[in-house]
Amino acid sequence: MFKKNKEKKFYSLSRKIRADIIGMLFKAQSGHSGPSLSIVEILNYLFFEKKIYKNFNERDHFILSKGHAVPALYSVLYNLNLINKKELSTFRDIGTKLQGHPDRTKLKYIELGTGALGQGLSVSIGFALANIILKKNKKSFCLVGDGEIQEGQIWEAAMYAGAHNLKNLCVILDNNRMQNETYTTQTLNVMPLKNKWEAFNWKVLSIDGHSFPQIDEAFKKFYLEKNKPTVIIANTIKGKGISFMENSAAWHSKVLDEKSYKIAKEELV
Amino acid sequence: MINNAKKKALRNVFGEHLVYLGKKNKKICVISCDLKSATKTSNFFKVFPKRSFEVGIAEANGLGVATGLALKGFIPIISSFGTFITGKFLEIRTSISYNNVPVKIIGTHGGFIGKDGATQSGTQDLSLMMSLPNFEVFQPCSPLETEKILDYVIKSNKPSYVRICRNSVGEVYAKNFKFIPGKPKELIKSKINTIISSGPLIFNCIDAISHLSKKKIKVGLININSIKPFDYEALRQMLKSKKNILIVEDHVSHGGISSLVYETIAKSKSKFKILNIKSLNLDGKFSESGNPSDLEKFNGFDSKNIAKIFYEKFNLAK
Repeated sequence: MFKKNKEKKFYSLSRKIRADIIGMLFKAQSGHSGPSLSIVEILNYLFFEKKIYKNFNERDHFILSKGHAVPALYSVLYNLNLINKKELSTFRDIGTKLQGHPDRTKLKYIELGTGALGQGLSVSIGFALANIILKKNKKSFCLVGDGEIQEGQIWEAAMYAGAHNLKNLCVILDNNRMQNETYTTQTLNVMPLKNKWEAFNWKVLSIDGHSFPQIDEAFKKFYLEKNKPTVIIANTIKGKGISFMENSAAWHSKVLDEKSYKIAKEELV
Repeated sequence: MINNAKKKALRNVFGEHLVYLGKKNKKICVISCDLKSATKTSNFFKVFPKRSFEVGIAEANGLGVATGLALKGFIPIISSFGTFITGKFLEIRTSISYNNVPVKIIGTHGGFIGKDGATQSGTQDLSLMMSLPNFEVFQPCSPLETEKILDYVIKSNKPSYVRICRNSVGEVYAKNFKFIPGKPKELIKSKINTIISSGPLIFNCIDAISHLSKKKIKVGLININSIKPFDYEALRQMLKSKKNILIVEDHVSHGGISSLVYETIAKSKSKFKILNIKSLNLDGKFSESGNPSDLEKFNGFDSKNIAKIFYEKFNLAK
């Protein structure tokens, strides 16, 4: 019973996070909806279930390497009361702390400004190494996109982390199967994911990235891992939660008009 | 004015001083991209293995790892050939410059490096790094200047690029030399004629100046050790009485020392007395294979040719 309630709460919060994302994007008349919506459950779990920013000065680190999905992170920070409603409504406006792609020099809860893809994982490795020198039992999380792993630097970083058995490092790979223009398989096939990461000496877990029990189980396994870095392949749906956005390459960064905004809001109630 | 008793290769000075700094400051760590011996960080690796990271032939990842370490309060020094490391421009631009993270990049093998040729020679590095917001860019010419610049860079909370050449050179400074970021240093004063240079080429210029003084042509020397920040007004003051100016740099013509000098003149509202100004540089070309001294001669950077510019091109022969 307790478990069922917890799940219900989790999914209800996911809907709220999505509604705030859509609100921001409509107000800004720009931004990336599809790639933000696919990572909602993952962020919901890390920030509300694992509460990684509860004590910000002693936090587990999180880098959103696919920086264009930052509306999801802003929405989470808003729902954590770390940014207020007024700030949220300034997304992408001139002078805002909430830049179109994350900017740590403007918003302190951003650990790394990203946007040029492929760079976050290396910095997460730097965090993991620093925690080892400092003898701190803190984790380093990095969320990358499946299209993003076409960047060569990802594999330089993956090779390093695997070779050095960085067990305090966890990559979440948002496998929504699409990138800017179309499916990854039609752009540059990134499959097979599991074999690639395993060959680089990573522990690979493949889950439904929208399912609370599966996310929960995967992160529990990561926390118990003693030998290797972990990659959680979160199989997700681009545009998840809004019917006309789901699995649509067009909604990677399409502008929401009044009509589609209204439908989206109704679907998220 | 040159103390040759203290002649040392600048990359060796860098390597030794890094160990000295590492003993004083436990936050300093070093990242190598498979070039520990060539960039002389190998001593640091031996003395402080726990603060040393070999990332392999993967400069982009190395730069990101350095960024993460810096964000956690460490002072990461990443060294490679200048051309290789600044070639990872997008990684430096986003992870380090945009995020304003105090990563310290050491680019060795600038200018005429020798037989390895153009692919290994840093001849665009200053231009690239000067363009990046938040970055400081320095180039030492002598052992003491190398140490003082490193001392400053370690304390600075900004990202830095230091171009360190491999040349073995003497010392032009007295022991009490103070490095001031931004300020060009007038090593030899002269009212009418001057050379402006940076890095170890300063020594070719000093040779040229002593050669010229034998011909009764008095020429001064300005050393630009701090490329960014840069005090334009200080250089303007130094140049206001000058009639003949020669710029000497082992770098392409765009975005290096020459650009700083021409900008100084263009930005100023006051009039100059300049009759002749010339820049000796790589003129938008690549370097090539050859002994460094042969390459310098071939490209006209040897002291004889530098001197010749004054009495032939500038018509100062008496």
